[in-house]
Amino acid sequence: MCARCLEVSRRSLLVGGGVAAASLATGVAQARVLPRDMVPLVGPGYKPTEKDEQGIWQLMDRAEEEIAGSNLLMTDPKLTGYLRDLIGKVGGPAARDFRIYLAHIPEFNAMMFPTGFAVIFSGLLLRMRSEAQLAGVIAHESGHFLRRHMIRSWRDQRRKSDIFAIAAMAAGVGGAAGGAYLGDYVQLAQLGTVLSLFQYSRAMEAEADAMGVKLIAEAGYPPIEMANVWQQLIGEETASARYRRKRRRRGSLFDTHPSPDSRMADLKLSAAEVTVPGRAYDDGRARYLSAIAAIRPMMLEDQVKLNDPGASQYLIETLAQDGWNGLLRYYEGEVWRLRNRRGDDARAALSYAAAVAYSDAPADAWRWHGISLMKAGRMSEARSAFARYLTMKPDASDAAWVRQMIG
Amino acid sequence: MRKWGLALALVAAVPMSACVQTRQFADVQFTPPQGDYKLLVLRPDVSVGSLTTGGMVEPRADWTEQARTNIIAALRAQQATRGGKLHILERRNQLPGVSEQEVADFERLFYAVGQSIVLHKYLGEYLPTKRRQGLDWTLGEDAVRLGQKTGYDYALFLHAEDSVASGGRVALGVLGLAGCFVGFCAPNVGGSSQLDYAGLVDLKTGEVVWFNVVSASSQVPGIAFGDLRSPQGAAQMVDRLLNRMKPGQAVRRARAASQN
Repeated sequence: MCARCLEVSRRSLLVGGGVAAASLATGVAQARVLPRDMVPLVGPGYKPTEKDEQGIWQLMDRAEEEIAGSNLLMTDPKLTGYLRDLIGKVGGPAARDFRIYLAHIPEFNAMMFPTGFAVIFSGLLLRMRSEAQLAGVIAHESGHFLRRHMIRSWRDQRRKSDIFAIAAMAAGVGGAAGGAYLGDYVQLAQLGTVLSLFQYSRAMEAEADAMGVKLIAEAGYPPIEMANVWQQLIGEETASARYRRKRRRRGSLFDTHPSPDSRMADLKLSAAEVTVPGRAYDDGRARYLSAIAAIRPMMLEDQVKLNDPGASQYLIETLAQDGWNGLLRYYEGEVWRLRNRRGDDARAALSYAAAVAYSDAPADAWRWHGISLMKAGRMSEARSAFARYLTMKPDASDAAWVRQMIG
Repeated sequence: MRKWGLALALVAAVPMSACVQTRQFADVQFTPPQGDYKLLVLRPDVSVGSLTTGGMVEPRADWTEQARTNIIAALRAQQATRGGKLHILERRNQLPGVSEQEVADFERLFYAVGQSIVLHKYLGEYLPTKRRQGLDWTLGEDAVRLGQKTGYDYALFLHAEDSVASGGRVALGVLGLAGCFVGFCAPNVGGSSQLDYAGLVDLKTGEVVWFNVVSASSQVPGIAFGDLRSPQGAAQMVDRLLNRMKPGQAVRRARAASQN
């Protein structure tokens, strides 16, 4: 019998655990995935052949049926056609197989499902400044499909949870037989398993970024725009946190995605790598803005009502880097008005006044401009603003009230 | 010696550790349909997967198809004994005169109401104003309209999910059981499990008149009970889920009173 040889000193275990955890922590910043290594793993018309993947596809077909019929979807054929064309450009070999759905949810998000359908949130469209930026996000999502990430991470999870279950059981039984308690080791192994699952997930995201950069560069979009998306997101998160007097959340060991900072840094390097000197790249801004023109007011309306003035203000100012217009000025005013701190009404009044100077000012900009003037005691100017509001929106729900105000 | 005694006690307990629970609720005025009635069965929501060694459920397309076929056959056989006319929708576009979208909306409405039933009748969030009132939920006018359009008396929703312990999971359980002999006893890592529920909607009133949940699971991998992949297992599931419909409280009381 060898009872003592399995005995472990608790101190050595803790020291060892500390070292292991420290090495994992440094593992958060993992090596950059090179775009040139990103070869699509599926061809056109891919269908799964193995049992585990077939099972997931069947489940996902059901999910797609639900999503395709969801009342959260925006189904304007012009817009959905635009998105379909875009994924057709940056979808690599599977370009013709993808389906893309637009959901009316005011958040920055997009996702690819294992069977090749993507869901884009309207909050994403609001934040993109050009077709190139949107193409970058869509190409990233295509990358998940082209690199078969879902089935690979499923298999990784299955393998690791299997190994852990067997090892934990063997440690228990073996330890009991040998007379040693290995529970501390088992707990450490559990943490290690969990951390390695998250790390695998981050590695997949890094792959999708590298694949995405390559795809949009090949389609003729400036690849640096993908890095710019992250720069904007970092700016927005910082602004939002500052307003709430909190610090922006940094990456942790339990993140499924790499931190925006490391993604931006890697994307910049990758973009420089795939850029061909002398080639003309087109960011397609005008095309993009005309495609989303019809829904931009709605998306801005959603955003300002999220009660996140820090983010909303940052976002509007970022979009305005491509030029202010009546719509953006009006919603700038809405951010101040809804924030309602001391002096915000005056700020809002300035924004509304600036908004109505543009020919594209929405009717509501005239309404709020009129109210601001009225509060300032400038009744005759207010009357003409209200009159303008009524000409633009004669069926407004408050038309009778406004008419009565004009007198 | 004590170790062996414990191990033996556990081995004796093993057959007990596969358990089946079923609990049904009915509208107080509910009488199980009998005789000449028309029943519409919405596409049965079936999924069968394999329980991996590490405890994940891996969906299996072939098993799911097989189970759905078996369940539909068992359902036809079961309903034939009650005398009803049955129509089972396999796709949402198979209901004449009703669009795919309407069927989808109807299904979603039921699942939302079903979740509420499960929360307030099964998961312990009991509603103080609904005590001893049986099942008091409705799908409203939409269900009545569907009944008028199609001429069906009842709609039945059915959900079944089954996970079958893989070879690795069974081996893990065996290892845990073996450990009992050396003092580390973990036979109950969890094996196959099944969760089924069904709801019956009266299309004349729109009310959910009957709801039943069957859950079956074995703590010890390797112990099987009604495997949906086999016709017998599916028939057993349909029997447990649907064949023991009890009338509502008021109806039972009235019957008891008339017998006295």
